[in-house]
Amino acid sequence: MHIPDGFLSTPVWLSLDAAAIPAVAWAARRAQTELERPDDRRVPLLGVMGAFVFAAQMINFPVGMGTSGHLVGGALLAITLGPAAAMIVMTAILILQALIFQDGGLVTLGANVLNMAVAGVLAGYLPYRLLGRGKARTGAIFLSGFCSVAVSATLALSELLISGVPVPRQLLWISVVLFLISAIMEGAITAAAIRAIEGMNPLWIRASQPLQPATVVLSMLGAAGLLATGIAIASSQPDALQALLPGQSEATSEGWLRRAALGLMAMVFLYAACLFAGRKIARQRSA
Amino acid sequence: MRPAVRETWIADRWSRGSGPLHSLDARVKLAVLIVYLLAIASSTVWNQTAFAGYAAILAAGMAASRLPLSALGARLLFLLPFSGIFALIAWLSGDTPRALALVEKSLLSGLGVVVMVATTPLEEIVRALEFFRVPRSLVLVMQFLYRYLFVIADQAHRMRMAAACRQGNRAGRRPRFQAAAGIVGVLFARSWQRADHVYRAMAARGFQGTFPAMNPARFRVADVVFLCSSVVAALTVRLML
Repeated sequence: MHIPDGFLSTPVWLSLDAAAIPAVAWAARRAQTELERPDDRRVPLLGVMGAFVFAAQMINFPVGMGTSGHLVGGALLAITLGPAAAMIVMTAILILQALIFQDGGLVTLGANVLNMAVAGVLAGYLPYRLLGRGKARTGAIFLSGFCSVAVSATLALSELLISGVPVPRQLLWISVVLFLISAIMEGAITAAAIRAIEGMNPLWIRASQPLQPATVVLSMLGAAGLLATGIAIASSQPDALQALLPGQSEATSEGWLRRAALGLMAMVFLYAACLFAGRKIARQRSA
Repeated sequence: MRPAVRETWIADRWSRGSGPLHSLDARVKLAVLIVYLLAIASSTVWNQTAFAGYAAILAAGMAASRLPLSALGARLLFLLPFSGIFALIAWLSGDTPRALALVEKSLLSGLGVVVMVATTPLEEIVRALEFFRVPRSLVLVMQFLYRYLFVIADQAHRMRMAAACRQGNRAGRRPRFQAAAGIVGVLFARSWQRADHVYRAMAARGFQGTFPAMNPARFRVADVVFLCSSVVAALTVRLML
């Protein structure tokens, strides 16, 4: 799922890098306020936990038919350290992987950070946070792991497609099936690992705080609606970027600048919308 | 141990060697690497002469690094499968320039990163990131992560060996899955405790939240010359060819 350098087109990597910077800065600020408390042991904790995820990725889980898979870790970190700290740890892991193992490029770092450290961690945190109490707890943890990998993989695949990397239809289906399998595995591994950790010390797991059922249903409906719209656009228009930005010619030297600017504007708009929605929800909850 | 983990030890040992590239300031090397990568990433698919130019810049850097070329080249094997598959698909669908560009871009970029990591200790790279205003919490996490990466990876390896010795390969899939989950759980617990010990030991030694540098970096004439010449070279290739 790590996108190497050379795969994304200029407008795509440029806008994703530009979008990743404020996201990481936000997570860093939240983590920083936690770190600056006096007598805080979280400074080494986050780093050592990053090393733990690196090491845990080496442990093979038997899947069947002689194959094996391994943990990715975004959901596990989010459930144990909280989303902001997990984003920072995942970002640190991605930077080191790009430098040490050339797993993913440096120019495409923004894309990889957004896919795995931001979207992957958030998608892995929300199901647990919303549903992780009562009878459905194990199911919620499974869903966390599943969503974390499924969201990262879907984003990575769509970024490659938007960049014009040729992916034949058969290969697309094969990779979707592979992604689904690895998402199911991540869910199962996360659930089993969280159960083992909880057996040793329940304080290592963050408590989940369910929202009102109505909010849950509404947000799920919203997500489903977004997904359906995206699929509808994607299947009716083979080149999504062309469809989203009408009136654009082929990628000329001025064309990509305008596209990047449009992409940036869309990102800013999305950030503003999310910020607004977040403020509103926070105010409602405190009221 | 995963071969890639051992591989880093080699790059780590290389990075502590000496050579013309080794002695340069990490901040300068990082800036040059970023300019070089951005130039490659923003080049159009059809511009084959530009890729030849980048290859020349890379060759100069590899020569200046005084590292074993065959070992540097061995890193290509890690990069090739992914870009190779997509390049093959592009080539089969008749898009030869894109296929060429995919392979060239990913290899030129990947090798550039390898030359950087093999001539600069990772602590210095992370310190350079701090200079470029990367948030301090992220820098700290990276410093701790790299410091304990191999310690915990070795621990994971030992636990895996122990589990394999206990159960053999006769156990069914379910118990082996449970055992692997148990390893992850215990590894988590041990890492958490290790972080606690590390915190106490560092607090006792007066850790203030930053790692002091062994030898503070300073810009020298060689750094400025290297910075100017390589940035000019990369920009010339990007804009002129």
